[in-house]
Amino acid sequence: MAKNIMVVDDSASLRQVVAIALKGAGYDVTEACDGKDALSKLNGQKVHLVISDVNMPNMDGITFVKELKKNPSYKFTPVIMLTTESQEGKKKEGQAAGARAWVVKPFKPEQMLSAVAKLIMP
Amino acid sequence: MDMDDALQTFMAEGHELLEDMENALLSIESDPDNEDTINAIFRAAHTIKGSAGLFGLNYLVTFTHVVESVLDRVRAREVAISTDLVALLLSSCDHLTDLMDWVARGEDDVSDSLARKSLGIEENLKVFLDTPVAGAGEQVSADSSAAEDGHSADVDADEPPVAEPALTEKDLWHISLRFGPDVLRHGMDPVSFIRYLATLGTIHHIETLLDAIPDAGNMDPETCYTGFEISLHSTQSKEAIEGVFEFVSEESQIHILAPDCLQEEYIRLIKALPEEDMKLGEILVRCGTLTHRELESALQQQQSSGNSLQPIGEMLVEKNVVNSEVVNAAVRKQKTVKEARPPEASLIRVDADKLDNLINLVGELIIAGAGTNILALRSGQSDLIESTETLSRLVEEVRDSALNLRMVQIGSTFNRFQRVVRDVSQELGKDIRLTINGGDTELDKTVVEKIADPLTHLVRNSMDHGIEAEEVRLAAGKPAHGSLMLNAYHDAGSIVIEVSDDGGGIHKDRILSKAIEKGLISENSAAAMTDKDIFNLVFEPGFSTADQVSNLSGRGVGMDVVRRNIESLRGTVEMDSQDGQGTMARIRLPLTLAIIDGFLVGVNQSAYVIPLDMVVECVEYGAWKESDNSHCLNLRGEVLPYIRLSEYFETQNPGHSSERESVVVVRFGDSKVGLVVDRLMGEFQTVIKPLGKLFNGVGGISGFTILGSGDVVLILDIPSLINDAGTLLYQTDRQAMTA
Repeated sequence: MAKNIMVVDDSASLRQVVAIALKGAGYDVTEACDGKDALSKLNGQKVHLVISDVNMPNMDGITFVKELKKNPSYKFTPVIMLTTESQEGKKKEGQAAGARAWVVKPFKPEQMLSAVAKLIMP
Repeated sequence: MDMDDALQTFMAEGHELLEDMENALLSIESDPDNEDTINAIFRAAHTIKGSAGLFGLNYLVTFTHVVESVLDRVRAREVAISTDLVALLLSSCDHLTDLMDWVARGEDDVSDSLARKSLGIEENLKVFLDTPVAGAGEQVSADSSAAEDGHSADVDADEPPVAEPALTEKDLWHISLRFGPDVLRHGMDPVSFIRYLATLGTIHHIETLLDAIPDAGNMDPETCYTGFEISLHSTQSKEAIEGVFEFVSEESQIHILAPDCLQEEYIRLIKALPEEDMKLGEILVRCGTLTHRELESALQQQQSSGNSLQPIGEMLVEKNVVNSEVVNAAVRKQKTVKEARPPEASLIRVDADKLDNLINLVGELIIAGAGTNILALRSGQSDLIESTETLSRLVEEVRDSALNLRMVQIGSTFNRFQRVVRDVSQELGKDIRLTINGGDTELDKTVVEKIADPLTHLVRNSMDHGIEAEEVRLAAGKPAHGSLMLNAYHDAGSIVIEVSDDGGGIHKDRILSKAIEKGLISENSAAAMTDKDIFNLVFEPGFSTADQVSNLSGRGVGMDVVRRNIESLRGTVEMDSQDGQGTMARIRLPLTLAIIDGFLVGVNQSAYVIPLDMVVECVEYGAWKESDNSHCLNLRGEVLPYIRLSEYFETQNPGHSSERESVVVVRFGDSKVGLVVDRLMGEFQTVIKPLGKLFNGVGGISGFTILGSGDVVLILDIPSLINDAGTLLYQTDRQAMTA
């Protein structure tokens, strides 16, 4: 079974493009538009990787990762943060929360795919 | 879902963002210190750049990057908000819209004019990037160019590397990995990285180091204890190989030695690693990166050089360090973007056609439901009647929520005028401020779309002709700046939109003389006209304002077109003016174009529907009738003109005389009129069907509907009936006078 990746971003077009790229590479994709939405969509389901934006309404990426990591089911789930041209502060916060990988916006689909490939196998 | 869909989403999103950006830019001028607004502007540019990058729209990325850089300086308070800057950013906004359209057209190359415009705006924007500022900002222009370099480096990295001469068997990269203890806890799988490394070349040899694993009792299964020594055959750059371990580089010890590196570097590596020197040496030999002879000489050298332990930090990939500087520079550029955006979470985009289809179906459902109701009543089964009643109540709710789906707030349309007012007032050299009220008033999407043009015309008209020049205003004791007001509110089943100004008002005499000159009215009738009638002459076709036409309001669209547009939405428009105080155009529109609550009345054998919102009351005709000749009732002391529908539609049946006629009092705007009917048949849900072209010239009806019984019934056009009632009254008066 294909591995499941959750994409959390408030921009629908970004989610769509990332989803197209990931599906093309053989992953399953679940989309969520913010941290709150992501948590409710996860709800104990198996996910192999989470890609999350930092700046989102309702629940930002950092809070979301903190919440995610509190759940034992997702303790070892890798998280890729989407940071803006390297917001060093946010990156640090994200790392402290448990998101160790990041991709800097704007990125191309291939850049996202290679970041994903470093973390999980298709 | 494919890329085209995604691109569509991007376009829609982009236009929304640009609209937000424009609104924020317009409000920032008056409130330059509002951080939320500055952030909103920045975020819009930033998000567009981010998404454009994803679609490979490099042209858009490059342009937006410059805009973003300027905005970033604004955010960092290094550049002050000025009228010039706002104007420039607004034109950038417009240009981005053009670029979006270019993307939408799917053309490969940017046209010359677009490219020239891009360059022009970029040049102007760069002025703000180069301006030196006091203190910390001095590095900014260097920073932004560094960031740009970093960005282009990103792009370059995606291109296939230039083929290097084939490496000999001996020319191997050596990669030494000691994963940090927490990598597993962070969701990083060492095996996954190594597997990815294998995509960059061939792994020649791999040694797993398990020395760090403690006794079973002390071992924590969640901690990573493993290290790897890898020799890799690859033509990739050092940067690319480093990139593999990017996510673990901070917590792990990673050493990458190029195939051609010096022996000293091996020594430093061996020293830096926690394992025993000799053992590592053996591993390196086994990996094929070092020969035995090289190892021996290396170890000797190490001993002879004594204790000059090299700090690991220095070893850590020089290139990486350089990169992080670039990155740091960019960090200063970008600070937290505060989210003040409306939550997108609760919104979904729906095709307008789908909604229209839904409304049509709901309309059919209502008609079918009404049919069922009639059958149930006829059958006389009480339980069936009860269940159909429940059903119709539900259908009614479905109708309301379906109609509600089409309702949008007028605010976004109003906000567009901020820009219009700003631009036009600059053009005219007048200082005009726009106030918006009732932006949260909701109305049908189709109406909102169609009302924008007439509104624009009215707004421009007010600014051009209504509001006086500053000297005139001051002389009249008014504030120097003119005020324009857009106001919206609900009133008796319609929505009212007012465009008002505090200008000089309409000069009645001028209007009258012009109307007479154009042959629209005769001098006699002019004398009998009320103020309102006079003002409304401006909407008459042929009432050209040629001698006042400027390039603003006289764009070939007259006020008669404004009225026609509004009437096509079943609405009305009227003018009101106070000399020297200002003018107000009042547009009255129906809330919805599709389904209404109707009131069914019977006249002889026919039935008619009156929109329920307009019905004020029903009274008995006989009780208020004064005389048979006049066309008015004395309703509780109030003069109420009335129309006998049987006469109006000429359906009078000579043999038939109703014993008890009723008067339905209807109201539209400020006018009331009574409609004399034979029977009151109660309310019912009316699906408005448009009349065919044949009925174009027929007054008094605005559409038709189908009853549950299958009968076709006409819907009364109350505004036109009210109008006709006035004329009728006038004629009867004249008849009375001549008699």
